[in-house]
Amino acid sequence: MQLKKVLLAMSMATGVFAAQTALAGEDITLEFVVWNYSLDTIQDNIKIFEAKNPGIKVNLTDYTWTDYQDSLILRFRSNTQTDVIYGGQDWLPAWASAGFVAPLNDIAPPDELSALSDDIAGFALSDMTVDDELYGLPYYADTISFIYNKKILDDAGIAVPRTWEEVTAASLKLQASGMERPFVYELNQELPNFFDAFVAQSYGRGAELFDADQNAVFADPENGAYKQLEWLADAYSQGLIQPETHESKIIPAMNTGNHAFTVVYNYVLAALNNSATQPLAGQFALALMPGAENSTLGFSKFYAVTAKTAADPERAEAAWKFINFMAGGDYTIAKRWAVEKGLGFGQLPLYDDSDVIEAWGKWVDVSTLNQQAATAKAGVWTEWGGVWSAYFRPLLAKAMVGEATVDEVMQEGAQRWNELKEQFANR
Amino acid sequence: MWTIKRFPLLWLLPALLPVLLMTLYPIGHALWTSLHRVMILFPGEPFVGLDNYKRVMASSYFYDALKNSLVFTFFAAPSVVVIGVLVALFLQRRFFGSQIVRSVVLLPWVLPGAISAVLWIWVFHPSFGVLNAILRSLNIIDRSIPWLISPQLAPISVTIAHVWTQIPFAVILTMAALSTINSETLDAAALDCRSSFKRFRYVLFPEIRSMIVVLLVYNSLIAFTGYDLVYAMTSGGPGTATTLLSFQIWRESFSMYDFGAGSAVAFIVVLISATLIIAITRALPSDLFGGDEP
Repeated sequence: MQLKKVLLAMSMATGVFAAQTALAGEDITLEFVVWNYSLDTIQDNIKIFEAKNPGIKVNLTDYTWTDYQDSLILRFRSNTQTDVIYGGQDWLPAWASAGFVAPLNDIAPPDELSALSDDIAGFALSDMTVDDELYGLPYYADTISFIYNKKILDDAGIAVPRTWEEVTAASLKLQASGMERPFVYELNQELPNFFDAFVAQSYGRGAELFDADQNAVFADPENGAYKQLEWLADAYSQGLIQPETHESKIIPAMNTGNHAFTVVYNYVLAALNNSATQPLAGQFALALMPGAENSTLGFSKFYAVTAKTAADPERAEAAWKFINFMAGGDYTIAKRWAVEKGLGFGQLPLYDDSDVIEAWGKWVDVSTLNQQAATAKAGVWTEWGGVWSAYFRPLLAKAMVGEATVDEVMQEGAQRWNELKEQFANR
Repeated sequence: MWTIKRFPLLWLLPALLPVLLMTLYPIGHALWTSLHRVMILFPGEPFVGLDNYKRVMASSYFYDALKNSLVFTFFAAPSVVVIGVLVALFLQRRFFGSQIVRSVVLLPWVLPGAISAVLWIWVFHPSFGVLNAILRSLNIIDRSIPWLISPQLAPISVTIAHVWTQIPFAVILTMAALSTINSETLDAAALDCRSSFKRFRYVLFPEIRSMIVVLLVYNSLIAFTGYDLVYAMTSGGPGTATTLLSFQIWRESFSMYDFGAGSAVAFIVVLISATLIIAITRALPSDLFGGDEP
């Protein structure tokens, strides 16, 4: 009898719960996956979106930058619900080819998407496009820059270097006066930006790593990329370089006053010059990438939708609303990232925004930045690029630390590139 | 009648099934993967026989990783055993605070590998590291030592971190083995032999040698398959200086999107590990684990 009463109570409770669930309406919860930069800002943006879009919830999942790519691969292969993601220009061709992500045309009204595309900077648009299909809208777009400590150079009577030879001369002079390793460098062969930084430096010399047919040409000793790797290996052997495993360690390292130069993303300069947290804030400046052409790598990270979500009309509509909110509309969110965090942007109207110009003027010489951005070039990203980069990065590191010669590394890297190119062509 | 004596396998199934599911199935699937082309960027998963094995073994990365793993195991495993035994012998003594010391000794073992790695990065960091700071303050060095960024020093740094994490387990097992020794034997040895070294060599070591062998085999396997410290401390670098085979498995699978090659490396690791165990156990005296005949 007692058991019957308990069973009856449980069934009634279950019925009430089910009814409540049905009455609550069916909110869509989008799974938004990011790397863990400024999560509080993202969460705040999500709250604003949810307030404006009743019926759509956004659940945020984050991974560290170092784990992001393989965590996404695991999610895709295990069919874990993933709706909107941060994407990277180096991963996009492979992910598009594998069917993990869908073109925005699949979820966005064509006229809206076209209007937004017209507002995107060239190198950013190129990074988000595969086979003439646009796969994302910019989360942020940036260039990789050469950054130096103004005070250290002024005190030492050193002019801002314009070539890599001048960087060596300046570093040797600083080393002779007691600075152990003047150049702090993000050396983490498992990070895609380790290769990006090398490309940026090579572009400074006016080099192209691949020809118009996407054949590797950097194994030629006369190629600027070859020369840049020789420069890096030479600088390392002379003890001029202090490697750090992540940009977050470059910020405190530069703020010790023990290093004069680095090559990082522009938003790191904003962090370096943050007077609220950094003791040497205000001493750091951007210079044009050393080399004959002073060009650099421009790139874009973006919001993308997964193919699985694009195939579900309800989720696709919610995903487009979210992506449009975060990267489109009146660019409020992109502007927020730029003003509050110094993140670069791919949305052209923001270049003329007075709030952005005023905020950026506090940590960078905007005219130099614009000059650098004007010469920035997009990278060469292919389906096999990510696989090849993972293969080539440890070789780059080997050459830098003297475990292999530059020629061995460049020859092996070029050979592997050409092998993969053929393999993918015959797929 | 349903008694345990009848249908023994049926009674074991509830315990066996999860074990089979969590061991045999993944191993079997990994073996299948190693014999197929499983690359997420290529359609289908065709059978390719031993092609994955041939490809990984033709790569310079594989030989760098193999050499590093063997050298790492050669130095790390005996170090753990030797230091663990010495610490255990020390902790056998009674002194003020010995219980607290025993608890502290266990701490490295309870820390996750990633946390240990972060801790040791702050010891070995060239600019902010404790070790360089101490050496500078003692005027032993005037330039910071690149513990984690020199291809020669980075493997030593990772080895030291690894040994530190594994010592507690060796201490526990050795102390357990020491506790089984008859106290009268120890008393007699103390009377008959003044030399601590001789007491250890002729009395203690014969009693605990089987445990030492077990520790050696166990730590060889742990060192050979080590992954977390390398991943967190050096990402296998600089270059390939600290790339171990287990790290190469990860790189092939998740960086180069080639799960077939990653599985092939995994099975090569299994084969080498098995060879190591067989070689070690065959080198042992046949009576090592046997009891005294009546």
